[in-house]
Amino acid sequence: MGRWKAIGGAVAGIWLACATAGAQTLTVWHDLGDNGIAWFERMSAEFAKERPGASVRSLSFPTDQWFGRVIGAINTDTAPDLIFNNYERVIRIQTQTSRMMDMKPVLEAVTDRGFLGEDDLRVATFKDRMIIIPMQRVQMALGMRKSWLDKVGETFPETWDDVKRVAAKFRDGDPDGNGRADTVAMALQAAKPRDLIHMLDLFVFGSGLRHTLVDPSGKVVIDQPAHAQVLEEFLKTYSSYRFVAPDTVNHSFSEMYQVIEGGRAGMFRVGDWNVRKWDQPAVLNGDFVSGPWPKFDPARPNAVVIGGMRGIGIPENSPNKQLAIEFARFMLGKAAQQASLETVGAAVRKDLDVSKLSERSQYFARAEARLAAYDFPESVHPWYPEVEAAYHRKLLAGIASPPADWKPFIAETAREMRDMVARLAK
Amino acid sequence: MTSALARIWQDRVFYALVLPFAALTILFGIWPILLSVEMSFTASATALRATPTYVGVANYVSVLADPLFIASLTRTLVYTGLAVVANLAFALSAAALLDSTLLRRANLFVRLALFLPVVTPDVAGYVVWRWLFDRSFGALNAALDALGLPGFGGLSDPGSVLWAILVAELWHHAGFYMVIFLANLAIRDRALEEAAAIDGASAARRWVHVILPQLRPALTVNLVYATIQFLKTFTVVVVMTKGGPNDRTNFVSYYAYQLFDQGRYGEATTLATILFAVVIALSLLALRLSDREPGR
Repeated sequence: MGRWKAIGGAVAGIWLACATAGAQTLTVWHDLGDNGIAWFERMSAEFAKERPGASVRSLSFPTDQWFGRVIGAINTDTAPDLIFNNYERVIRIQTQTSRMMDMKPVLEAVTDRGFLGEDDLRVATFKDRMIIIPMQRVQMALGMRKSWLDKVGETFPETWDDVKRVAAKFRDGDPDGNGRADTVAMALQAAKPRDLIHMLDLFVFGSGLRHTLVDPSGKVVIDQPAHAQVLEEFLKTYSSYRFVAPDTVNHSFSEMYQVIEGGRAGMFRVGDWNVRKWDQPAVLNGDFVSGPWPKFDPARPNAVVIGGMRGIGIPENSPNKQLAIEFARFMLGKAAQQASLETVGAAVRKDLDVSKLSERSQYFARAEARLAAYDFPESVHPWYPEVEAAYHRKLLAGIASPPADWKPFIAETAREMRDMVARLAK
Repeated sequence: MTSALARIWQDRVFYALVLPFAALTILFGIWPILLSVEMSFTASATALRATPTYVGVANYVSVLADPLFIASLTRTLVYTGLAVVANLAFALSAAALLDSTLLRRANLFVRLALFLPVVTPDVAGYVVWRWLFDRSFGALNAALDALGLPGFGGLSDPGSVLWAILVAELWHHAGFYMVIFLANLAIRDRALEEAAAIDGASAARRWVHVILPQLRPALTVNLVYATIQFLKTFTVVVVMTKGGPNDRTNFVSYYAYQLFDQGRYGEATTLATILFAVVIALSLLALRLSDREPGR
């Protein structure tokens, strides 16, 4: 009898412990991998000091799975307490669920928020609803292998013509010195329509243009001379210039990263979140330098691109909503933001200590270069995602079977997009 | 009614043994299919809720008006046709070769070499094939280059990608069909061939008129199974091409997966339902064709 009582007591104790812990534990779903998990662990420890007994558990999913799981969970009332991701991804979640909480009142209760600019808040807002509180600006620069530049006798390129000259040397000049023609000038991706936007936007906004496809009035801009020039060079990078790996048309993020981290590419996109990993000896060992995207026109200033804003959102059916709101506010505090900078490589506060970061991380943390943000037309034009998908599909078709002359292709594409905008905007 | 119950009672051991498997089939086979079909009539945003919004046949109208889906379905049917013919022709040829005495001691080795890919994890196999076809460092183009021959576009050329994945799939699947053919060849009536030989029939005529008709059961099984398999082509696309280049390998299964990925559950299950109907229809047609009595 005594033994049964002991077992019963133990079971009840474990159940009680789990139940108590569950009530105090927030769950966050993100796609930041190990860096993100480390960040949330640090924040959990700090948060527990302010809110004894509370803890935060984060789960990281591959981005593709993150969408499906979040949408499924919110729609079946099994939502996590909070979700963390890029604004455009949270827009898709809101479109599919209509159950993301308006974070405006949550943010308004935070007194120390002057570091968030108008652009930051505009990005976080979709159809008059603030769907995330901005937490990390996503900066993307042009990365170059330092040792390769030295080997071919070049410095960091300033203009697109410089890039083409250096790229040809990277492609043909055996910059890794292994005696084989196995180097790629540039690592890009083009497997899916959505992949292409990431690359094209870098060329467009990095070179000082303000819109990829349409302006705020909904007018298609791709065949305007300045835009057409950038677009044509972008398309040639995949085709006649032979700067990318021949199989790039089947490369998505994972393959692009294999090319970069395998040390086969001389130029690539480097995001603030990449630096920590690429500083490691087994990856690039810090053998890269970052800078703004090249100039296409001397009169137009080039920039490092702000490709988005990562932030925290709360589903309406969050199981521990009040505690989740408290944690979301806490994430804007200095301790949480410092942890963000040190683990993920990005933050929104400007009063953080960057001295412990590597030189390459400091480049982003100090925001030394001119920054240019995406125009985020999806938050202005409801029809934009459909037009954009058609646009990228058209560009992919062109890249897969390149025309002899890109100019008529661009003109034809512009016409098709205008027809589509006219139809959808009705 | 009483007699029906009496018959069931009489066969109670049979029903008792079948019941657990019937229950599992209903629970894990038929029920999910029915749920998927039901979901195809709901609005995507509400598809996973306890009380979804039903939209009638709106998803079907939308999908059938989608030129990408029509192109994807056409592509799937063409690829299935090519893949079924190529796999069965190769498997039958290999089985005939292995059934003969031509290979002597190499027979076991060739048999193993052709069957091993069937038990190799498909993802691992396709990753290796992707590397083989890679135009930067792949062995295939390196060999062509060494021989002074023009390069093969492989997976990055819209003109060659279908053939490239067909070869990879043939490598993975043909061994299975070959084993079915071999089993059928092993149990055929050899006396008929001897009689035909005595009557002066050539080897080719013996194959066409005596052996092939006896392979009808294996042909039927392989035809139906291969049709189902290639209509659902998915893994090879995920691993090797992601539907590209220029949508050339965007088959219906992968297109449905992309829609799932975007949370468009209503449309995705509509695609799955249409594909399911096509699979059933073509499988029945294949069964009917191969079951037909010769000369009728």
